[in-house]
Amino acid sequence: MDTSNPAAFVNAELLHFYVGRRVRALTQVVRSDGGIVIGKSTDEKQLVVKGSPPPAPLTTFVEVFGIVNNDKSITPDIWTNFGDAVDMVSYNKLCQLAHGEYKHLFL
Amino acid sequence: MAAKSLTHDAVSTLIANPSPNSSSVLPEIVVQVLDLKPSGNRYMFNASDGTKKLRAILPSNVSSEVHSGSIQNLGLIRILDYTVNDIPNKSEKYLIVTSCEPVSPALEMEIRSDGSRDEGGVKSEGGAGILLKPKQEVVTKSAVQILHEQRGNSAPAARMAMTRRVRPLVSLNPYQGNWTIKVSVTSKGNMRTYRNARGEGCVFNVELTDEEGTQIQATMFNDAARKFFDKFVLGKVYYISKGTLKVANKQFKTVQNEYEMTLNESSEVEEVAGEASFVPETKFNFVQIDQLGPFVNKLELVDVVGVVKNVSSTMSIRRKSDNESIPKRDITIADETKKTVVVSLWNDLATNTGQELLDIADSSPIVAIKSLRVGDFQGVSLSTISRSVVLINPDIPEARRLRSWYDLEGKDAAMDSVGSGSSPTSNTGIRSVYSDRVSLSHITSNPSLGDVKPEVFSIRGYISFVKPDQAMWYRACKTCNKKVTESIGSGYWCEGCQKSDEQCRLRYIMVAKVCDASGEAFVSVFNDEAEKIVGCPADELDDLKSQEGEDNPYQLKLKQATWVPHVFRVSVTQNEYNNEKRQRITARAVVPVDFAAESRIMLEYISKMRS
Repeated sequence: MDTSNPAAFVNAELLHFYVGRRVRALTQVVRSDGGIVIGKSTDEKQLVVKGSPPPAPLTTFVEVFGIVNNDKSITPDIWTNFGDAVDMVSYNKLCQLAHGEYKHLFL
Repeated sequence: MAAKSLTHDAVSTLIANPSPNSSSVLPEIVVQVLDLKPSGNRYMFNASDGTKKLRAILPSNVSSEVHSGSIQNLGLIRILDYTVNDIPNKSEKYLIVTSCEPVSPALEMEIRSDGSRDEGGVKSEGGAGILLKPKQEVVTKSAVQILHEQRGNSAPAARMAMTRRVRPLVSLNPYQGNWTIKVSVTSKGNMRTYRNARGEGCVFNVELTDEEGTQIQATMFNDAARKFFDKFVLGKVYYISKGTLKVANKQFKTVQNEYEMTLNESSEVEEVAGEASFVPETKFNFVQIDQLGPFVNKLELVDVVGVVKNVSSTMSIRRKSDNESIPKRDITIADETKKTVVVSLWNDLATNTGQELLDIADSSPIVAIKSLRVGDFQGVSLSTISRSVVLINPDIPEARRLRSWYDLEGKDAAMDSVGSGSSPTSNTGIRSVYSDRVSLSHITSNPSLGDVKPEVFSIRGYISFVKPDQAMWYRACKTCNKKVTESIGSGYWCEGCQKSDEQCRLRYIMVAKVCDASGEAFVSVFNDEAEKIVGCPADELDDLKSQEGEDNPYQLKLKQATWVPHVFRVSVTQNEYNNEKRQRITARAVVPVDFAAESRIMLEYISKMRS
């Protein structure tokens, strides 16, 4: 298992800490057109993913692995469908804990 | 009124008639007592008529009135009999008051008729209580005089702010008593009565918010409660001072503040006139109905929004603690999670709001409720408390979303009670799988659990093993589920129904090994729960068992049951076996794991560990 470049769990608020680095973020897809997907992050802010999703249809909730660009959008690598019902609040709390007190457990 | 006022030019009148004849009728003479001081067993004072002063003596027969407090400094007395003498070697006169009667207790201050008697006529009244001095005078008065004026009960609030600076709520602390705050009442609780070792009492709280948004809870007991209950009106703004602060009891914390305030009888509460009263918009933090599980029996309050599906009539519940009867009404609400929950409305919410809801129930109104306690009646139930707020058809996005969902699909959708997914009736009562959550090691490490009466817990764990060669089931009567015996001839005899039946049903009675992160244990499982674990009824499993073949489907079925997570409701008892006490864990209910709810529970553990 390649642990050389772990992706940090982020919400919109934490993006700026990880510019240029690999992150993973859960987003609720709001709009998806022409190479860009706009979503709502787990902390209710806008998340922009600059890339086209794979041909398979996206479910309402998607987790994206990717690199954070300077403009706080994400260039995606991997798209994972999370289905139509996900507890965003738990994911958001996870982002906060993984970035804060328990960062050493994750990165 | 006239009797209470100073007699104009009383001093001149007294001097003009220094030795009145006791038989002559005296004019009304009322003077103010100033600078009252004892001299031997008599009292000296200055008698004032608002313009002039006259030195005076109250002889010993009148002294008792001073002692008793009916004659006070700054008070008014009516002179009934007197003599005016000259002071030897001086041009002054002095008054001996041989008989008088008190007219009024101490006034706020010395009354002066400084030639402004024409203005408003208030001055010459000199009545007990406030002197509303005309505005021009304020400029010429000294600070001391202004402060004197403020002691009145109805001193306009503007003066309070003028001489006492209003401090922000955030700066209050228990070590500095001299403060005034300007706050609005953002929540007002009901008056509650209580009984404790010291007797009976009544109490109520209000939530106060200042202009910066800081909040604090203020509590009043007994006399103070009675005094201020009607004074505090939700939404109005008040100046408050002379309250006491102490560190807040976090268990009962309702607002974010390290301190809480107590107001007693000497505290001052004044309404700020002319301040627009406002009730701040209620802020909600909604929890979806199917997410209520983890909140059961916890102190944290929740907010919900849903479509009203049913409104009951008002019931009267007798409170055990003081035998008081309280009205209650149950409403059932549903949301997009297609789950329903019953909300119990109490007191005014039951009678007034409840009636409103009943009247419009047919229109499936949306209701948003703030500050509900989550209980475990029928699995999950909600209950209002004194500070709960109920909004009917509120103009908020969640309500609009619910409305469109309901109109499109909700009204015809099949709904489930949120509590029903948890635990069916069992002989331990209806409980939620979210209460009394423990780890397996908590049970196994404590062999004396359940020795007096069965103890009930909930557990989240995996089935780690189901032994294929165990007695998995028993033959049961199709009617009453009791064990049947093979009767002579054919068929089965049921002792309970006292009849024989050709056929019987197989019902599970088995032991499964359950494990979680802390340990493992054997759990006895009966029919309904075992069906959920194995995934098929016992009769079906029996069929599979009897099938011959390489890949025995029976074994396969049992294997498929392993490593599946469940949430169990278990009861722990003690059994004696060969003179040995053994712990027996029985599954009372099995439900699938709700990962979102479990995540919330884990987040709660984490926050408990951190604090």
